[in-house]
Amino acid sequence: MDFDAIVVGSGITGGWAAKELTEAGLKVLMIERGRNIRHQQDYATELKTPWEMPFRGEGDQAAYARDYPVQMLNRHFNEYTQGHFVKDSENPYTKAEGTDFNWFRSYQLGGRSLTWGRQSYRWSDYDFAANKRDGHGTDWPIRYADLAPWYDKVEEFIGVSGAAEGLAQLPDGRFQPPMALNPVERHVREVMKANWPERCLTIGRTANLTQAIGERGTCQNRSICARGCSYGAYFSTQSSTLPAAMATGRLTVVTDAVVEKVDYDPATRRVTGVRYLDRTSKTRKSATARMVFLNAGAFNSVHLLLNSASEAMPGGLANASGVLGTHIMDHASTLSAIALMPGFEGRTTTGNRPTGVIVARYRNMEAMDGEGHTRGYSYQGGALQSTWTAGKRDPGIGADLKAKLRQPGMWRMVLVAFADCVPRASNRLTLDPKAVDADGIPQLNIAFAFGKEERAALAQAKADAAEMLTRAGGKVIMGFDQPGAGGSAIHEMGGARMGHDPATSVLNRWSQAHDIPNLFVTDGAQMSSSACQNPSLTYMALTARACDAAASMLREGKL
Amino acid sequence: MDTASPSGGLSRRQLIGGAAILAAVIGVPVAALRGDLLSGDSAPSERRRALLRQVSQIVIPATDTPGAGDVGAGDFVLLALDHGLEKSREPLPADAPAAFARHARKDGSLDQATWLEAELDARAGGDFLAAAADRQAGLVAALDAEAWGEGGKDLPWRTVKALILTGYYTSEAGGSEELAFELVPGTFAPDVPVTPQTRAFSSDWTAVDFG
Repeated sequence: MDFDAIVVGSGITGGWAAKELTEAGLKVLMIERGRNIRHQQDYATELKTPWEMPFRGEGDQAAYARDYPVQMLNRHFNEYTQGHFVKDSENPYTKAEGTDFNWFRSYQLGGRSLTWGRQSYRWSDYDFAANKRDGHGTDWPIRYADLAPWYDKVEEFIGVSGAAEGLAQLPDGRFQPPMALNPVERHVREVMKANWPERCLTIGRTANLTQAIGERGTCQNRSICARGCSYGAYFSTQSSTLPAAMATGRLTVVTDAVVEKVDYDPATRRVTGVRYLDRTSKTRKSATARMVFLNAGAFNSVHLLLNSASEAMPGGLANASGVLGTHIMDHASTLSAIALMPGFEGRTTTGNRPTGVIVARYRNMEAMDGEGHTRGYSYQGGALQSTWTAGKRDPGIGADLKAKLRQPGMWRMVLVAFADCVPRASNRLTLDPKAVDADGIPQLNIAFAFGKEERAALAQAKADAAEMLTRAGGKVIMGFDQPGAGGSAIHEMGGARMGHDPATSVLNRWSQAHDIPNLFVTDGAQMSSSACQNPSLTYMALTARACDAAASMLREGKL
Repeated sequence: MDTASPSGGLSRRQLIGGAAILAAVIGVPVAALRGDLLSGDSAPSERRRALLRQVSQIVIPATDTPGAGDVGAGDFVLLALDHGLEKSREPLPADAPAAFARHARKDGSLDQATWLEAELDARAGGDFLAAAADRQAGLVAALDAEAWGEGGKDLPWRTVKALILTGYYTSEAGGSEELAFELVPGTFAPDVPVTPQTRAFSSDWTAVDFG
């Protein structure tokens, strides 16, 4: 064997797998389909001002419409960051009839760890027990206690700033000092606490450092993270896991290499390695290993399993259950309310805090008080002031307009709901039977729709948001109760779900394929439910836990 | 200043050469109009550039800091319209009024700059640029008021005005002299009193995107 382990993908979980496996003494190959991006050297636009950009940071919208029609919808996509996103024109996928799904992707070393929103929340037993409680999906084979020590480990390594609130539904972690609420947020927090004691607005828990860790400096409050951060102040593969893995001397990194298939030996019932297209030399290559970790991103890991079908496994690798590709999810999200917040005109902020606030879930916990739904929703958002762009919306020209735009504008408070997405068999990934990409690989087909549960949750979220902001003295000017397109939350997950039963799930409690002991899937594909808070911290904790288990199994000869 | 004889179809070399001459005469920064970024059929006449410069200056005039025309916002508008900023390359609806349809580009979108030039000349009863400064300002103010009045939301002026503001507040003078700019704040101060001297930050990206 060439390696002890092959890790496919170098994003949030791929970096963690490389770090944990190499630190466990294993010789690891990490394969990344995209280009190399070197920390501190290749963040080309990090220090650019708008007036140094050809389109002032707005970007060439005509070119975006041609080449980035999906990626341009990502809130982190702009002229500075476009190099950190795929060209849709070169990376096609198909959608089933009636599906509205935006698949946001970053194919490069570090993957979406360079562009992620950095919000880092623990899941609770309200989440791990959700499927068992209401009967949707399949029961998770783990609970919070299984993951808690791994959350500790991950938080301490990546650095998560946040405030301890003692909430059962949003467990506290090993936090660095929290970032501060602004005056409007403090006010809304207090009004909520006084009127609804079970509702808690707290500062977003974010993987931006408020205390240095080793070579990584503290956050400079620029809030332009997706350009890349030479301070290493937010967690990314480049800033954090890759240096740790490289320091072991046991990691080999190959970039510009698209893994096409995972090889399976029916005689041993084990995977033996991967085959990949070397885009630099335009040649097809292979590598062997004693185990394989899939960390290509939820949908691409499923795609790889489906594309690795063989005579022995005609429905796809590790798909004896037949559920591979099914039960995909993404949070149903929408702008529940935006309100003008009078009374704070004399206050402002300086610096750009790289996080907003979160209102933790408060529905369907001890009492089932959801109207038409059985799960939770939480809000993220914050209070902000307008600036010169507000001038686009209003009449007026001349010196008066210029004078008006000189000072910070009106405060407004925004609450965006994220609702738990029920796992459904009909929401699934398949290989398109006809369409192939430029390399001849079948395109992924996405079939996805939100259901009545998510719509009911967002309707209640809209009403609640308006009530809370109005009680806080706000004037609600807009709010929605319909979800955006699937994928909008950029929390696509599922497709290789974890479960107790090999007949109804792909992975066991160790993120290990039921059918193939030396195959692990530790990115978002493994998720059996979606919760209503951001999933990346949980992916990392599950990856660290799976790596520990895999290394032990390898040592014990169980793989 | 020569504002006569609107012409189209300049070669890029002519365009860049013309830009240098215009810059020498009226102070438009040459670099503000990147000829290499303009598509083939979008090279503006010098008159159109002068008109956009003047309109930009009317929207954001010089005070204790430069105005929008001074910093090249007019040229930015032309570039931005060419490249679809503010959704400016979306096709006109099939039932678009003739006043817009006659200025359609080949791709079916409205050529807002052509429309603006024709509209302001018509309102001026001839040559907008030859009108007195007060009258020019009055005509632009009237157009602005109509765009926010009843039935005005589809007037292309809203797009042009938005791009003038973008061109100004993302320029070095607009972004860092008129407003404050700090690429590396270092700290976040959550509660600061507003004083008459307080200036908004053009580097408050959340405010720029969502404010």
